[in-house]
Amino acid sequence: MRELAPSSQLITPDYSEFIPPMDRRRMSDVQKMSIACSMDCLDQAAVGQPDAIIVGTSMGCCVNTRNFLDKILDANGGPLSPTSFIVSTHNTIAGQIALLLKNHSYNMTHTQNSLSFEQSLIDGMLWIKSGFNHVLVGGADEEEESLYNTRSRLNREHLHLACGASFFVLSNENHHSEAVKVVDVGSFGLIDGITDCISHFLASNDLDAKSIDLVLFAQNDQQKMDQLKSIFPRERLCDYQKLTGTYYTNSAFAMHYGVDMLLNNTKTTEAEVRYILVCNNVIPENLGLILLSIK
Amino acid sequence: MSIFVTGIGIVSAIGLSAEKNLRSLRSLTTGIRRSGKHDLMIGEIDLSDQELIEQLQLATEDYSRTSLLGLLAAREAWAKNKIDKRIRTGIISATSVGGMDRTERYYFESQTSNRTDSRSLMTHDNGRTTERIAVELGISGYIGTISTACSSGANAIMHAARLIEANKLDRVIAGGSEPLATFDIKGFSSLSIYDDGICKPFDEKRMGLNLGEGAAFLMLENEHSISISGNQPICSLAGWHNATDAFHQTASSPDGKGAALAMIHALAKARIPPQAIDYINAHGTGTGNNDLSESMALKTVFGKNIPPFSSTKGFTGHTLAAAGAIEAVYCVQAIQSQAMPPNLNFTMPMKETGMQPETEFHSANLEYVLSNSFGFGGNCTCLIFCKAS
Repeated sequence: MRELAPSSQLITPDYSEFIPPMDRRRMSDVQKMSIACSMDCLDQAAVGQPDAIIVGTSMGCCVNTRNFLDKILDANGGPLSPTSFIVSTHNTIAGQIALLLKNHSYNMTHTQNSLSFEQSLIDGMLWIKSGFNHVLVGGADEEEESLYNTRSRLNREHLHLACGASFFVLSNENHHSEAVKVVDVGSFGLIDGITDCISHFLASNDLDAKSIDLVLFAQNDQQKMDQLKSIFPRERLCDYQKLTGTYYTNSAFAMHYGVDMLLNNTKTTEAEVRYILVCNNVIPENLGLILLSIK
Repeated sequence: MSIFVTGIGIVSAIGLSAEKNLRSLRSLTTGIRRSGKHDLMIGEIDLSDQELIEQLQLATEDYSRTSLLGLLAAREAWAKNKIDKRIRTGIISATSVGGMDRTERYYFESQTSNRTDSRSLMTHDNGRTTERIAVELGISGYIGTISTACSSGANAIMHAARLIEANKLDRVIAGGSEPLATFDIKGFSSLSIYDDGICKPFDEKRMGLNLGEGAAFLMLENEHSISISGNQPICSLAGWHNATDAFHQTASSPDGKGAALAMIHALAKARIPPQAIDYINAHGTGTGNNDLSESMALKTVFGKNIPPFSSTKGFTGHTLAAAGAIEAVYCVQAIQSQAMPPNLNFTMPMKETGMQPETEFHSANLEYVLSNSFGFGGNCTCLIFCKAS
């Protein structure tokens, strides 16, 4: 894994493997990334039809949205094509996945800026606890430079604005013996400090800061960074934004990274990695926590 | 366990409070009028952003209309409740375009002027519109925003109920808010489904929909929360479900499969047979496609004994992400007043179904009331409210 550099480009797969050509032509990046990830991870989990499809996205289909604004301007009061309008809603991503799969199950889209992915995971875990076997959950955001990124809360000079999609199949414990366990997920909006929140979250899972072998964090605020360092030893902290760049749902990437680490049983320092905490503080007043463990 | 509805708040083209909305429903008074700005029939709210800011006594002007309308409704639903550490409280709102009203103003102005204020883009993201409401109510912790187009408001209420049921939260103020954005007006006009008059849901000669703006919130509480707040339940939320039509990005399937699935599973969740439903507040947008598809779904679920039903879109216009929340408030008010809100402008049943909606505001014994909301992406949601708490 290499750190992100100014010259880094989005890595894209050959979308023709995942999406029929007629559909592909009309899709924006966030749709294509999300569908490719969904199909690939359903395939890996050998799940034909998930019992629910849940997507977290802060900005949704913002490129299609900007395109339709441009068309309104170009039309100057004249007739308009609805093409980009009908694929501008945030739930276009989850809806298109269902349409491709011919899936009639629960279909949800959470759009709480930097907590969109965590809230999608919470939603998915509620369904697993109430008896569903397999739930598809993902986080995705695309770049749209001319409008939103020029003035979003992420726009700080030292950040590398990026985009990405990461999807997962959550399954009931009866399936997949080698999988990683999502122990708990927390979404905390408009909070002052992060230390109490993290301690309370870990305590409610009968753990403390010492039990966490690795903290994958995103932090864009010096004061909050100091708070994080006051809880966890420096050598257990890993800044995932150096790998993926900054976008609102990049904690989904961190979860993917954490899952891979646990599956490969990678070692940090000397101890075996048993617990990983994804600590998403991309927006300083919002905190997302995802606790992963080996099963 | 029960999920109690203990408060309601609403702003729409037919009134800026629950009481005023009910009065308009009772007197069959529509809020849809020809808008000078857009030369279309629209359900507008007669308050400018500035007037809303003054009425809400806000310190800055840095709010999207989505937050302003939402806050007006949320404050009514929140009423005199207080933040209490013993009650885990959250807010879940819904919007389809977030702060688009300010974003599009900036974007359109930026084409002709270089003196635009790009700070208005800071209120664009959906989540931000809810955070602004949360701050004013003093809520921190679970702050969520659902965006599934025209079913968003119903999904926000469903998600709140599920978080309470799972014992993650004790109390949630849940609903949705939608301003009239040029973006949506141009979008729905481009789909050629805009009625030049007032919409005629479920009528053979229906021509399409009218857009509207508004917001609505419900206060949902569990028993623990009520034992502390002392609030009296108005009714309870007994069933809910979301299903996907998976037919087309914008059009509903001819048989309304997604809609039928949502209703069937919501009935199962409420543990009641279809015959137990006393009134249905239909999605009923007035488009050829929706009303026929929804009618077929009603036939699938209820057979020959379709309960009394109506669409209230002829009063408010289609308020998109707020619609599910606004109509949830109307369902709660139907139970509260034991009367069914009527369907305006109905004269002739559709030839395919012969179904006849309620056209008068009249009293009835309402135990269970069902509300449908459908959106782009084939997103179908059904909520069931129950009189007995």
